[in-house]
Amino acid sequence: MRKKELKLVVTFHTTADAMAMEKLCREQQVPGRLIPVPRAISAGCGLAWCAPTEERDHLTEVMSSGGIDLEALHECMV
Amino acid sequence: MNLSDSKKKLALAGVICGLVAACLAYFGNPANMAFCIACFIRDTAGALGMHSTETVQYARPEIIGLVLGAFIISAATKEYRSTAGSSPMVRFVLGMILAIGSLVFLGCPLRMIIRMSAGDLNAWVALIGFVLGVGTGVFALKKGFSLGRAHLTNRVSGGVLPALMLGILILALATNLLKSSESGPGSMHAPILMSLAGGLIFGAVAQKARMCFAGSIRDIILMRNFDLITIIGGFFAVMLIFNIVSGNFTPGFNTPGIIAHSEHLWNILGMYAVGFAAVLAGGCPLRQLILAGQGSSDSAVTVLGMFAGAAAAHNFGLAASGTALNAETQEVVAGAVPMNGKVAVILCIIVCFVIAFTNKRSEGK
Repeated sequence: MRKKELKLVVTFHTTADAMAMEKLCREQQVPGRLIPVPRAISAGCGLAWCAPTEERDHLTEVMSSGGIDLEALHECMV
Repeated sequence: MNLSDSKKKLALAGVICGLVAACLAYFGNPANMAFCIACFIRDTAGALGMHSTETVQYARPEIIGLVLGAFIISAATKEYRSTAGSSPMVRFVLGMILAIGSLVFLGCPLRMIIRMSAGDLNAWVALIGFVLGVGTGVFALKKGFSLGRAHLTNRVSGGVLPALMLGILILALATNLLKSSESGPGSMHAPILMSLAGGLIFGAVAQKARMCFAGSIRDIILMRNFDLITIIGGFFAVMLIFNIVSGNFTPGFNTPGIIAHSEHLWNILGMYAVGFAAVLAGGCPLRQLILAGQGSSDSAVTVLGMFAGAAAAHNFGLAASGTALNAETQEVVAGAVPMNGKVAVILCIIVCFVIAFTNKRSEGK
């Protein structure tokens, strides 16, 4: 079983935005993966992008340049 | 209580929901139906006079309880969020497809699991279609499908569907305005207050655990994530034990009296439409009721679509018939999908493809 660690979790307004984020990160070789939105963050059932906490600035820059709107940035155990 | 921070707790959530369904089946709900969203919406639509099939009319307290249970628990835990504005009319159509596909198969994904746990091999065949439908929906997501974002709206808006459900409950308890079947599946039900309590518990647990049949398979395909399927596993295990202990476990295809048919192609295609539409709408029929309860007007519109679809399924002869035993000749009469139902399912699948590949993320920007 994967050990839980403090991670940066990016939530989006739509599932399509999360999918676009995955595609963009793969293209630009940004570390991270798609996860279901952690229950502690939302009662919704969408997707989120999970990345190392030290990637915060880099991710913000990538999303800005890729035209992806984020809903919120969280730090939580994943 | 946090029901989602470990797989054990998620399985426990499924077990609680399974116990609710088993209790309701034991105390009078139709055999092998126990707790079916599509069937119960169809019965409630009949009670409201939206269709005139006399054997399936009864205001099911389970449906009312699910919405109110989700509403109460989300309000109590500050998770109620009134949102709206994500392509409501497309969602209405998807709701209709969810109901029509389900009534051609004879059950929503929840009942599919219940039927599987009772040994109904038709439901295992239908599971193939459901998984393929969810897979097609995931493919559309990867191609950029989106119905656009929902926005926060007036708090009252999200409370309208729960209020309407409360209104139906009051009509059922205090008046004789609603229709009620005297024979057939609509006449078979657990006591009203027990059904209501079951719905409230099921709704609250499903809201906390985010129980969703389409979502569980979507998450496996998309992310190899098995959290949501763990809930379904707990639910299935309880129903399997209940069916074996109560003598309802009958492996086979042509079992009379369990409200199922053995037209494999149409079982597959009916649930294919349901799986596909559920991913596009962001949740299975159960999940739509829960999301509507926690404030989503978009899901409330989907629920209204399910009511319209269920009514259409009976008004236009789309719903399948179940395999039955002829009381006089003791011969098994095979259940079947009428021609209208076959045409409707094909149309539903075509509409799903049109919706999936004409609503793109870039258009909403």
